[in-house]
Amino acid sequence: MLEIKNFSKSYNKDKKAVDNLSLKVDSGDIYGFIGHNGAGKTTTLRAIAGILEFEEGDILIDGLSIKEDPVACKKKIAFIPDNPDLYEHLHGIAYLNFIGDIYEVSKADREVLIKKYADELELTDNLGDSISSYSHGMKQKLAIIAALIHKPKLMILDEPFVGLDPKASHTLKQTMGELCKEGSSIFFSTHVLEVAEKLCNKIAIIKGGKLVASGTTEEVKGNNSLENVFLELISVN
Amino acid sequence: MKKIIRLVSIQMGAVLTDMLSLGDSRKKKSKILGYGGLTLFVISMSLLFFMYVFMISEGLKMFDSLDIMPTLMMAITSVIVLMTTIFKIKGTIFAFKDYDLVMSLPVSTTGIVASRLLLLYGLNMLFVCMIMIPATLVYGMKANPSLGFYIISLITLFCIPLVPIALASILGTIVAYISTRFRHRNLFNIIFSVVMVLGLMFFPSFLGDGGQEIVDMSRLLTNQVNELYPLARLYTKAVISYDIWSLLIFIGISLGIFMLYSLVIGRGFKWLNSKMLTGGTRTKFKMGEQKVNTPFVALYKKEMKRFFTTPVYVLNTGFGVILGTLGVIALVVIESPIGDYFDISFDIGQYMSVPEIGGTIGVLGPLMISFFIILSSTTSASISLEGKNMWLLKSLPVSEKTIFFSKIGVNITILAPLILDLILLLLVMNVDVDQGLIMIIVGILSTIFVSQFGLLINIILPNFNWTTETVVVKQSASTLVTLLGGFALIVIQYLLIGLIQIENMAHIIYITLLLIVNLVIYRILMTYGVKKFRGFLV
Repeated sequence: MLEIKNFSKSYNKDKKAVDNLSLKVDSGDIYGFIGHNGAGKTTTLRAIAGILEFEEGDILIDGLSIKEDPVACKKKIAFIPDNPDLYEHLHGIAYLNFIGDIYEVSKADREVLIKKYADELELTDNLGDSISSYSHGMKQKLAIIAALIHKPKLMILDEPFVGLDPKASHTLKQTMGELCKEGSSIFFSTHVLEVAEKLCNKIAIIKGGKLVASGTTEEVKGNNSLENVFLELISVN
Repeated sequence: MKKIIRLVSIQMGAVLTDMLSLGDSRKKKSKILGYGGLTLFVISMSLLFFMYVFMISEGLKMFDSLDIMPTLMMAITSVIVLMTTIFKIKGTIFAFKDYDLVMSLPVSTTGIVASRLLLLYGLNMLFVCMIMIPATLVYGMKANPSLGFYIISLITLFCIPLVPIALASILGTIVAYISTRFRHRNLFNIIFSVVMVLGLMFFPSFLGDGGQEIVDMSRLLTNQVNELYPLARLYTKAVISYDIWSLLIFIGISLGIFMLYSLVIGRGFKWLNSKMLTGGTRTKFKMGEQKVNTPFVALYKKEMKRFFTTPVYVLNTGFGVILGTLGVIALVVIESPIGDYFDISFDIGQYMSVPEIGGTIGVLGPLMISFFIILSSTTSASISLEGKNMWLLKSLPVSEKTIFFSKIGVNITILAPLILDLILLLLVMNVDVDQGLIMIIVGILSTIFVSQFGLLINIILPNFNWTTETVVVKQSASTLVTLLGGFALIVIQYLLIGLIQIENMAHIIYITLLLIVNLVIYRILMTYGVKKFRGFLV
């Protein structure tokens, strides 16, 4: 579903933010991407989502290159950034319809899916309000609903649990599991190692722009806890 | 005091960064270029004002009325401060972006209010100096006043913006506060602001007795200003007659009103800000039937909504359209049987001392249309206004071409009423068919030009880290360059009309030129524009 081939990105000549990263996410994977602040997680996620241009390497979504056919790739993706800055001048429902229109979601599907996910995340009552009046958590919920209504094959999430209340976090975890059972894949970054350990079947650890470990959760952590493995890996010079 | 100065300098820095489109630039070279550009802009504008005031002074001297010049300039400056400050209130004093952060700092509310007011004062002083210093120098050269004139002018210079700022703040606060009480607050805000600005523009023309006896229009205007704005009378007495009492009262009233206003604002600062920052009336949403659109229509509707929910955007780019439409409607009513019935119809050609008004409109009409159209570029701010939402736009599965077309489409829609006005005007004025056709084609091509050119310039000069929409819409480098580009085109049009005297030939050459320019800009947008858009770091 997602194949990152020798991806590198630098913002200035002196240092690479991400250096020669290669990784593969298969259908049905919940792939956790962990690393310290500034390790290159967000840069990688943004490049996959087609937001950030890059010169070295390639990223394939369902066999298509994000460089060569960005529109076709983006149709298969849903991306939620760490800070969901949405169109504040729109009402919640108008935003969902906007996303529905862009991804060409049929009227019937749209009505069913908006209701389903808005009810599950307890946002239905607020869909008529302006997004500018939403709290951070409500915006996060709206971004999640918008991402789910077009049934993406690949979800790219940057710190998806930040700002969510415990119930919404639980609902999101369940939904992630359901989506992957249906054949979609999820690649997400997180600092909450317990969540990554419990939720993900695969994990990648990035340090200073370079991938230092990747594979199934069992392979990466072995007999240790993920926290210990992570701390050990990032402390090695 | 140290904290207040620190706050002002940080906020001033943010505003200047917004204005100079330095938001996403970390390079020292770009900053030097930006600030250099600002200095150049201030100097060139001051020089322009100097020349403008010099020409006015020549005229006034001929009619032996040079004495009214300082008052006239002071009145113009006060009106500019008043008009521009009304829309700066929301975003500077109230509902500014970093309200929570600033309020959490260990600075007293009075200190924060003082810093916001000083910021507003500082921004206005820049414009006051740009007009008043050249005006003072010109008056000095022409009237040879004593040293007292310069000293009093310098003292009063700092007081001129105080009362207009206080007045504008009161009006701006009323608009902002009332609009928070409505569900469709932005619509209310736009309508109220338009009515208020129109009122301010036309109110002086309803005063006085029509000026039959007073030939000198400037003196009439100055007299009206003196009657309307008592401070202007005091200013005149202080600057022209060196009346120390008038000077002291002028300074006293200016400072008094400003301080009184500061006290009132200080008291209601927290309360008004919480009112304006919290959402409007909330209703429980019930899921119903949803409408489906194509991706282009969805983007276009989103863009339209962005336009109509940003009052400063509507007022800045749509005001020409509103004025043009009102003017044409008034003309149509006057020329129609309704005008006859109310006895307000008249021969407009005779009124304007142009016997064949239809022919004159045919010759100068395209110039007027171009002028109104170039003032109305919505696209020149449309990329910057994406701001923190740029990630969203870039993550959508739509081509850059569709995104560009949706933005251009909105600009064309906003300008469409002007084309309709034009057709109506041509019908009322009995303009020849060929001249009418030329005007319509010039109108359409100018609309396409301003939409495409504005977009291209904003792609070249974007600013995504703005703090208030006002700066992006009104004062950004992108809107300024778009305006200058439009003016350059009008100069070419004017030169062609002046140089080529063969009937309609100048217009035909201009149309061909516009067509070529539009095609070239389109090509650049689809190649360089797309590449630059993809490269935006968000």
